[in-house]
Amino acid sequence: MRNINFTKYKYFTLSFSFLAIVFGFVVTFSKYGGFAHSLDFNGGLRTVVELPKDKTRTDIETYFQSKQIEAVVILLEKEKNIYQLDIGLGSLPTIEALYKEIPEDKRESSTSAIDRFVQLLRFEFNLPKEKVLSADQVGAVVGGELTEVGITLLLTTLAIILLYLSIRSQFKFALASAIALVHDILMTLALIGFLQIKPSVPIIAALLTLLGYSINDKIVVFDRIRENAHGKDNLALSNIINVSIAQTLGRTINTSFTTMISVVAIIVGGAAELYDFAFVLLFGVIVGTYSSIYIAAPISEIYDQLRKKKFA
Amino acid sequence: MQSYRLLLLPFFILVVSFTILYPNFADRTLKVVVREDVYSLPEAEQKTLVSGLFDRWEKDYGKSSGWTIEPKGTLPPKENPFYTVKGRFITSAKINQISQENQGLVNESKNKLEPTWIENMIRGGKSLSIKLGLDLQGGMRVVLKGDFEDYTSKLRDLYAKEIAELNLTLNNQAAKPEEKEKAKNRLSEIESSFDLSPMRKIVELEKAKMIIDNRLTTQNLTEPQVRIQKEQDAIEVSLPGVSNSAAILEILQNTETVEYRLEEPNPFTFKSQIAENERRMMDLGQREKTDIYLFQELVKNKAGKKAQDEFLAELERKYNIPKDYKVYAMWARGNSAKSTLLPRSFVVLERKIALSGNDMTNAQPSYNSNSYGWMVSFTLTPNGAEKFFDLTSENRGRNLAIVWGDKVISNPVINDPIAGGRAEISGSFSEQEAIRLANVISEGALPIPLSVLEMRFIGPTLGIESIEVGVKAVAIGFFLVMVYMIFYYRLGGFIADLSLLVNIIILAALLTLMDFTLTLPGIAGIILTAGMAVDANVIIYERIREEIEEGRALSIAVTRGFENAFWTIMDANVTTLIAGILMIRLGNGPIKGFAITLCWGIVTTLFTSLFLSRLFMELSVNRMGIHHLNLRPFFFGKKEGNHA
Repeated sequence: MRNINFTKYKYFTLSFSFLAIVFGFVVTFSKYGGFAHSLDFNGGLRTVVELPKDKTRTDIETYFQSKQIEAVVILLEKEKNIYQLDIGLGSLPTIEALYKEIPEDKRESSTSAIDRFVQLLRFEFNLPKEKVLSADQVGAVVGGELTEVGITLLLTTLAIILLYLSIRSQFKFALASAIALVHDILMTLALIGFLQIKPSVPIIAALLTLLGYSINDKIVVFDRIRENAHGKDNLALSNIINVSIAQTLGRTINTSFTTMISVVAIIVGGAAELYDFAFVLLFGVIVGTYSSIYIAAPISEIYDQLRKKKFA
Repeated sequence: MQSYRLLLLPFFILVVSFTILYPNFADRTLKVVVREDVYSLPEAEQKTLVSGLFDRWEKDYGKSSGWTIEPKGTLPPKENPFYTVKGRFITSAKINQISQENQGLVNESKNKLEPTWIENMIRGGKSLSIKLGLDLQGGMRVVLKGDFEDYTSKLRDLYAKEIAELNLTLNNQAAKPEEKEKAKNRLSEIESSFDLSPMRKIVELEKAKMIIDNRLTTQNLTEPQVRIQKEQDAIEVSLPGVSNSAAILEILQNTETVEYRLEEPNPFTFKSQIAENERRMMDLGQREKTDIYLFQELVKNKAGKKAQDEFLAELERKYNIPKDYKVYAMWARGNSAKSTLLPRSFVVLERKIALSGNDMTNAQPSYNSNSYGWMVSFTLTPNGAEKFFDLTSENRGRNLAIVWGDKVISNPVINDPIAGGRAEISGSFSEQEAIRLANVISEGALPIPLSVLEMRFIGPTLGIESIEVGVKAVAIGFFLVMVYMIFYYRLGGFIADLSLLVNIIILAALLTLMDFTLTLPGIAGIILTAGMAVDANVIIYERIREEIEEGRALSIAVTRGFENAFWTIMDANVTTLIAGILMIRLGNGPIKGFAITLCWGIVTTLFTSLFLSRLFMELSVNRMGIHHLNLRPFFFGKKEGNHA
């Protein structure tokens, strides 16, 4: 078997990952003051409007961009040119200011944010009242409790994986898998924060998918390590790891590749609202594969060495 | 595993799956029901409505969709007042779209998608098509909160008489000690039923959910989802595709009950007191100050049930009505049949409910040609029939009022005992009201009143643009993966593709059978399933190739390959399964949708990769005379491929 020394760079890869995560989070919180806001998580204004036939998606998007209003524009119906416009809470002050610029005679006095936004829209796009099909100030769909549930969920899942893998193989492999999983989630969150990707239902779906993919990937690699280590206590674990990773490399590349084909198809396909989903997933697949080889395996080796030292 | 007979199993499963999935692809028939009042409109208006429907139809469905609509361009005959739409992929969103765009013409709640023969056979007519969640097609979400205070007060009415009797026994000096003991026990038993534990609340909410489910099915609304939110004592109803339907909300919330209560005995002491007072006011020319006028104003101003209840309670205090009685308004129409139903006078009824809606079933509205009005006839349950007979024989000459919601709609005198278990209610009903009353009796009343806690219109997370492009992209992705697998593993790749397809088909059938509602995270779960299924095959083939490289005979290499890969695949899938089950139990909304597809996907993946792939592989190697198995990509040449 080809012999590649995967574990040679373990300190480099471990510190690289650590620094990348720290960097991502530092940028997220110092530069942007946290993760991006989104309607799904923080609530906001949601309107459904029927635009005149000559107005296109680009027209609305350019308008919002020029006014620096953060908006998600979703086409609901092609024939009638009906769009759903989602405005995050962060843009309320901007809307407030723009509302005040509407000439007195063209606006009705109103205090609610959603009313003011609708008036602004009607003024800017010259919409009659009946073309605003619905307007709501909506609460978060997935936010709030999701963060709490998410953390409980992740911790419980990790505990169960630890338990199952400890029973099925050895604690060091279980521990390494769990840490690598946390690594994948943190890395992806760091990316989401760094790029200020808006958290949404699709992003949650992407995170869950990459979690599943990553578990799968780690177990395949560790199963091989366990199999190869069986009855070979005298052989250095790093050798076994290197051989095992090399043996599963064909599979790892194939699986990552086939998964990426589907994901890339979505990115190239150009479904605007699925872009973030696919992008996060693509990143997740790469990170998941990377961490199986360069994070999980080395950690099990380091753990092994520490234990041996302790009992030596 | 080396048996042809085993092939029957996947074959059988596939046939069943295809059968289950058939309604999704079959030609379907939809009845779009025309509103009755359209026929009484002037002809010009009818024409505008019809041309409105067909102009839009031409645009949307006229050219390419292959949908047909009959009769075309005209109003359907009055005796068959519906359009018949035939075509494939008729979705709930489309049905709603047609209805909502033609609200003046279409009676949305009566539209009916005819079940296919398969649905009739397997499900007794219940739909088998895959449902799309609100995040994919948009819709309306209503959260209804249970009003348990109202519920207990109703319960007290039901037990009012028994409590009074029991208290009498307790205070009776002459009663035997054991009788008193018994009464005491019964009293505390009743008292405890007023105490609502969280468990009890859930039970009542479950009942309410069932009734809402029923109401929605009989209304033929499109794919409603009814869920209990334990934390809030509320019921959440999701109506995909529906964007704004006040009528549906009214049906959902309708907490009206039907019950019989005896009126105070003749000579109507309290009723005449009230009536006398009212008359005096009228004589003084102070009609605006009479209670009945004030009450009518409350109703006209839509002050709500609470205000009405308070008003009636105030009346009870004003006239010193004893605790065993309650003041109700008698509702009727004015002189003409078209005038509105309004409270016309007050009556005083026993607090005790003589016969509740639970004792009645099977109500039918019918037209009474003798009185030129609508009435409702119904059947009594065996228990109810017995109660009714006792009631009518013991109280001959008294008035028995029928209370619908909080309206007394008639109070006929009991002339003779009524036996036989059938009875009817006649009041001054319109047809609509008769139908509503019949529905209330047939479907049962909500056990608890529900108030709207939250109503929200939900736009889809993704627009149609994205869904169209996304589906195309996923399909292309799948296709490329399959091509790559064949390119890389040749025959093995082909078998892997085959088992992947079977996997997705079985999974889709399973989800359909479970009435799963597909959401975006659900789709993500399916994509992950596909990825893991491909991975399982990759693991197997890599193992087989290793065996071949070590010089083993082909058939042994295949068997050993599968055996070596078995635990790896098991471990990976079982761990993911555990994570998935946790997500189902702990997660909400989007997490749950993802986890359900993932968990079932794992089950189907284990079946297809460990059983089906192996079966195909071993059959082709052992029985179909394949001696060379090349599991290397095409450009790698024929390095291996040992003889069997």
